[in-house]
Amino acid sequence: MTRPFLGFGLGLRTEHYQTILDNKPDVDWFEILSENYMVPGGKPLDFLDKIRADYPMVMHGVSLSIGSTDPLDKTYLKQLRQLATRVEPYWISDHLCWTSVNQHNSHDLLPLPYNEATIEHVAERICQVQDYLGRQLLIENLSSYVTYNESEMSEWEFLNEIARRADCWVLLDINNIFVSAHNHHFEPIDYIKGIDIDRVMQFHLAGHSYNDSMIIDTHDHDVCDPVWDLYAKALQHFGAVSTMIERDDNIPEFNELHDELKTAEKIAIDTLPAKALTLSQPNMRESEGVA
Amino acid sequence: MTSLRELQQSFMKHLHGEASQHAEGSEHAEGSEIVQHIQSTPDATAQRRLDIYAIGYRLRLKEAITTDFECLHGYIGDDLFDQLMDSYINQYPSQHPSLRYFSQHLVELLSTQKPFVDYPEIIEIAKIEHAFNHSFDAADCTTLSTEDLSKIAAESWPTLEVKFHDSVQLLHCKHNSFAIWKAITDENNPPDLEPDNTTWLIWRKDLISRYRALDDAEMYALTRLAAGDNFSELCEGLLDYFEEEKTPSQAVYYLQTWLNEMMVCGFLLSSKKQYF
Ligand SMILES: [Fe+2]
Repeated sequence: MTRPFLGFGLGLRTEHYQTILDNKPDVDWFEILSENYMVPGGKPLDFLDKIRADYPMVMHGVSLSIGSTDPLDKTYLKQLRQLATRVEPYWISDHLCWTSVNQHNSHDLLPLPYNEATIEHVAERICQVQDYLGRQLLIENLSSYVTYNESEMSEWEFLNEIARRADCWVLLDINNIFVSAHNHHFEPIDYIKGIDIDRVMQFHLAGHSYNDSMIIDTHDHDVCDPVWDLYAKALQHFGAVSTMIERDDNIPEFNELHDELKTAEKIAIDTLPAKALTLSQPNMRESEGVA
Repeated sequence: MTSLRELQQSFMKHLHGEASQHAEGSEHAEGSEIVQHIQSTPDATAQRRLDIYAIGYRLRLKEAITTDFECLHGYIGDDLFDQLMDSYINQYPSQHPSLRYFSQHLVELLSTQKPFVDYPEIIEIAKIEHAFNHSFDAADCTTLSTEDLSKIAAESWPTLEVKFHDSVQLLHCKHNSFAIWKAITDENNPPDLEPDNTTWLIWRKDLISRYRALDDAEMYALTRLAAGDNFSELCEGLLDYFEEEKTPSQAVYYLQTWLNEMMVCGFLLSSKKQYF
């Protein structure tokens, strides 16, 4: 598997649509939240098409519910495939979690017990989705607040084994590693070292907030210094990986996020040889994903 | 060992607050089954850890309803709106992968349950906001223009049918709910409640939601054509509103108006069984 490098991207948010169209900021790519564009028409799709004409995109979902014990949602998958036909994303990602059971949606990324039975269940479902979409998926690690008694291994062993068995990619959220390490008392570097180097296709960076003894993954703050440090360590370990900053709440002016993205770029330049940061060919957009 | 399905079901019960036996809206599902499956640590008990999810669940759904029904929130105030949201969350668990559609049954709750059912303007305001939410992202189509009228051959006119843009909706209000909605949206004091009898047209033009009041004749014309009547049937019905020699030109006038307002997606010529 060869890993393309897209550079440094931002999440596409409605607050910034007009600024992006007017100013064409130098962002290498945008990540869209797939569910926001699974609507029949109107403004969301209109802006999506216009911005897509100028920028590469990747699709990031929250409702695939890959770990659920409900059957896969065929309607959702069909809409996801239709959106992918429209957007022609470099790749499609979702989370290593479950969001719904008995057709009731929690609209949250709920953790799974880390054991062999769950690995088998989830890997099989990822394979089904990959077959349906005709491309490899990226699966992202969560921030979590609970550990099940049923867990028999670390989260990184669980994630890594699923990625191997399903032959999918990993979207490594550096902030989520930091948050979960704090909440579950492990060393973040152990997580990073536990993931196969050539499985990681993308990094997420984000901010969080404290709630007494726990850290909550709120995506409403700047990226904090310990997460920047961890990002540098992740770059040292994995090499150049396409990086984006997630901001979902308390959304600042576009320029502020753009400056934060420049910080990520600077850390990468300081950490890696210049050659490693060469962008992959832009004509990748025409090919069918990266599988 | 407890199966993954059992774990997921009891986790979801915890989020719904079902195992708690507490009053509606309680975020703390103490004694729920799932707590036995979660590890406690010195800094946070299993219960506290699970509550992060239960609190987050309710907050996220409330945020979705608040975004969709801003004006209703302003009209009934924080306390009643919060009570409404709790009832809704408890009775209408989300069945859709997107939060965009979570609040879609709110009008149904308001129309059937006390105290809301006794306040018709509350239901009307909710219907207005629901209609705008629908018009915002209703399906796109290429709209026709008045120039397309010239493509209709004279003999095709009587059987002509019209297909409207998916965003086009009619809303009948028995109170001045639209004026209340408008005042709250503009951050003005809403007028006192008064009886009224107006049908409103809501649709999307150039990506922006629009609205205007309809008189009885135009409401009739739009309702009939949207229901599938053809042009000659419409002209016949318009005899209740206009003199006979005026009805065809009046019907054409309506059609021109709707074309200019980008409400028309297609003409169906019954003879050819196809739209253009
Ligand atoms: Fe993330």
